[in-house]
Amino acid sequence: MSRTFADFKAYGKSYMRNRSGAFFAFGFPVILILIFGAIFSTSTSKVTLYVQDLDGSPNSQLFIDNLGKTGMLDVKMVPAEVNLDDYIKEKSITVALQIPSGFGAAVISTFDVNITLKGDPSQSTFGMARGAVEGVASMTMIGRIGGSPFIHLNAENIGSTQFRYIDFFVPGMIGFITLTSPMFSMASVCAEYRGRGYFKLLGSTPLTKSEWLMAKILWYMVLMFSSIALMYLVAVAAFSAKVAITPLAILLIAAGTFLFTSMGMFLGIFVSNPESAAAIANAIGFPMMFLSGTFFPLETMPAYMQAIAGVLPLTYLTQGLRATMVLGNDVMAAVDLGIVFVIGIVFFVLAARAMSWKGK
Amino acid sequence: MSEVVLEAKGLTKVYGDLTAVDHIDLQVFAGEVYSMLGPNGAGKTTTVEILEGLRDQTSGEATVLGLDLKKAYTKVRSKVGVLPQLFEPWDNLRPPEAVSYWAALFGRKMDMKEIKGLLEVVGLADKDKVLGQRLSGGEKRRLGIAMALVGNPELIFLDEPTTGLDPQARRGLWEVIRALRKAGKTIFLTTHYLEEAQELADRVAIMNRGKIVASGSPDELITLHGGGTTLILKGAGEDGIKALERIGLQGQLDRYDVQVSVPPLRRTKDVLADITRANIPFKDIDTKKPTLEDVFFNLVGGRLVEGVVKP
Repeated sequence: MSRTFADFKAYGKSYMRNRSGAFFAFGFPVILILIFGAIFSTSTSKVTLYVQDLDGSPNSQLFIDNLGKTGMLDVKMVPAEVNLDDYIKEKSITVALQIPSGFGAAVISTFDVNITLKGDPSQSTFGMARGAVEGVASMTMIGRIGGSPFIHLNAENIGSTQFRYIDFFVPGMIGFITLTSPMFSMASVCAEYRGRGYFKLLGSTPLTKSEWLMAKILWYMVLMFSSIALMYLVAVAAFSAKVAITPLAILLIAAGTFLFTSMGMFLGIFVSNPESAAAIANAIGFPMMFLSGTFFPLETMPAYMQAIAGVLPLTYLTQGLRATMVLGNDVMAAVDLGIVFVIGIVFFVLAARAMSWKGK
Repeated sequence: MSEVVLEAKGLTKVYGDLTAVDHIDLQVFAGEVYSMLGPNGAGKTTTVEILEGLRDQTSGEATVLGLDLKKAYTKVRSKVGVLPQLFEPWDNLRPPEAVSYWAALFGRKMDMKEIKGLLEVVGLADKDKVLGQRLSGGEKRRLGIAMALVGNPELIFLDEPTTGLDPQARRGLWEVIRALRKAGKTIFLTTHYLEEAQELADRVAIMNRGKIVASGSPDELITLHGGGTTLILKGAGEDGIKALERIGLQGQLDRYDVQVSVPPLRRTKDVLADITRANIPFKDIDTKKPTLEDVFFNLVGGRLVEGVVKP
């Protein structure tokens, strides 16, 4: 244990005296949270839906009100007399709904009525708007079958207050930095240690491989908790982020650090110099950042990308953090914690077995 | 005879078709500086890394401090100090921090006074505020030696400690090595500098192409393989060669000087007496004693220049 602590202390000193390491651990996450926070902290995750009501009846108005009550849509009215297609082009609108004349009469009778959603279907906002409109339309229809003119939709917030992008983003950022600092650094450190003969040098001391690995994991845990605490304080102080630090979040951060430090060591075994280590870590790390729901919700991605995300360990870390910190879903977070921990053990064992301090 | 602290028997390392270390036998005694001398690629580092336990041999046996290297590696590594070839310290640790770190790995807690004392031994006492990356080449090696000493080892391996250093830094390190020997440490030193082996070693093993081609003290090697003393007759010229032939000696013309090798089994003073009697016309006389360079030339067939054998 004393050897592990000695290695932890020496490595920590070296790391913090390296300006690049200190910047990526503390400066970079704070800069990212400030930039993304400034961009998204005032906006909610609502989609702006432009609505042109050509019916003008109480029923069409109630339908529009219900669209607003979903909490997903920010409804803006378009004057009935304008040409909606021209209006969309002129204002660069991605999604708009047209309620035809006779809509109100159709709702209380058995006639069919077509409402039209116009815009760019390739945009994720179009898909979200379509889902919300279909939901309200279905409820309206059920209401008609049941004899009652409308089902009134009441939106309720469960968990925290309204879900904002910054709240979604903070757990993603925690996952992101838990990936980057340990994995990128360790891959590069392993290459450097091999290139400069440090492994052989350490091999001539009583320090064991497991003690060395454990010292690195402990160091990155301390570093990650400090870095995340700083980032969290900035997110809360500057943007009033509403994310909770829960015991499961702490366990997830620890397990994530364990996983990505071990993964970095494993990658470092196969590289001969720090440059190629950085290339390999980037090749693996960057796609993982974007495909694991760090910056965008997984649900907005195509199905095949969601399938890829399913095999990436960062997905489970980000998903678990978001579940416990934002949604208050600790059951889901506990499952994700188990997955992250098991993958971490696999990489730790692989790294410890494959890493050799001896020459061939 | 002193105690044997390191012994190898039939040590062999094979890489595919290449036999890097070819059935070598050696013994190192307590308190001596044992130098393995040879060109780059001779197998010195492979040998020393096997003996340090950092590389497995293909065959053969090695014992270090009476312990079988393969069976008791963990015990062995707490009793030896190692300075690897081209040692580089950690960039962002200062010398006292590096020494303290290394001591902790050997289970020793050194206070600042002890650390400073150790740094003084290697001549780094005034560099305690300098980061590893800012030390000069020679200072880095000195720090490496200090780190190798923290476990108070009985045996220290120094693998080409002065390679790449300027002559001044090299001579500075020699003083450190001499001080360690004086303190009773046993030192296994690999080098490709003949002068270094001659200056520092009690015994030298000359290694070439994986084999030890000769070993012994520098004097023994010179006596056995150095080719004897050479007399230089300044300005003797062609007449000198002819005069030497008349008294049964062979000379070699080197511009106006004539070089005469003292034949084996004859004493230098007897040859000098013959030359004086023969009235050979020389202006002055010099003697040149053989060195390890001559030994190496005679055994390997080339001169050793910066680790490379040149004809």
